[in-house]
Amino acid sequence: MIIYLTCLLLFLIGIYCVAVKKNLIKMIVGIVIMEYAVNLFLVSIGYRWGGVDPILEPNIYNLTYVSPLPQALVVCTIIIGLATTILAVAMAMRIYEKYGTFDITKIRKLKG
Amino acid sequence: MSGMSLVVKVVTRITAAIIFLFGCYVSLTGQLALGGGFAGGIIIAVGYILYVLAYGKSEAEIKTSKEGAVVMMCLGMILFLMLALLGFIGGSFFNNFLPKGQAGEIWSAGSIPLCNLAIMLEVGAGLYLVFLNLITFNVTVREEEE
Repeated sequence: MIIYLTCLLLFLIGIYCVAVKKNLIKMIVGIVIMEYAVNLFLVSIGYRWGGVDPILEPNIYNLTYVSPLPQALVVCTIIIGLATTILAVAMAMRIYEKYGTFDITKIRKLKG
Repeated sequence: MSGMSLVVKVVTRITAAIIFLFGCYVSLTGQLALGGGFAGGIIIAVGYILYVLAYGKSEAEIKTSKEGAVVMMCLGMILFLMLALLGFIGGSFFNNFLPKGQAGEIWSAGSIPLCNLAIMLEVGAGLYLVFLNLITFNVTVREEEE
């Protein structure tokens, strides 16, 4: 139970970071923290007490395996999260090139 | 002298090859133990990134070219697609058409090790290319036009 509360706490930290901070880089860090909270939540759902890693080995039977489906899902989400983080960083670099600042309260001009 | 200090350069020169070898090991034994193409490719990319960070991008671009990374990435993608299309030999898309072998041996899982190899090329070259593009991005702040 406490691991789910940890995931919720991490997710709330990420939401705080996105909603309150005014620096674009800090907002990207908040998005990454939210991603990792969701990943941790999915992996901890698939855990079974006393389970081993779900790899088939010869001549060993009757073991309790952890669920491999959330792990495969989380591998995909890690890669997609990496891609979206890189996209966000590239957009932040373009914005810095255009405005000369990362402060979102100063990025207000639509043109020019 | 670009890059970091002499100690970092010497240690990088020793450990980069070991990191590369470990990445190859993780991705080629992905059907037997923990690991696979994603993890091995990321380990290989981290080895290259370490080299770039220690030696500076001007000296690292001599050893590893950006065009080579693009070729490797496209080669991995084409290899993966070819493996998926060759599954039509067995009847359907992504069919495991190679002989399965004995479970627990190194040549055992049909076409899955070849898929791991393709994913290793794709992920390793792609991540290294992303890093190289981000650090060679020239930020030039424009003047204010009032």
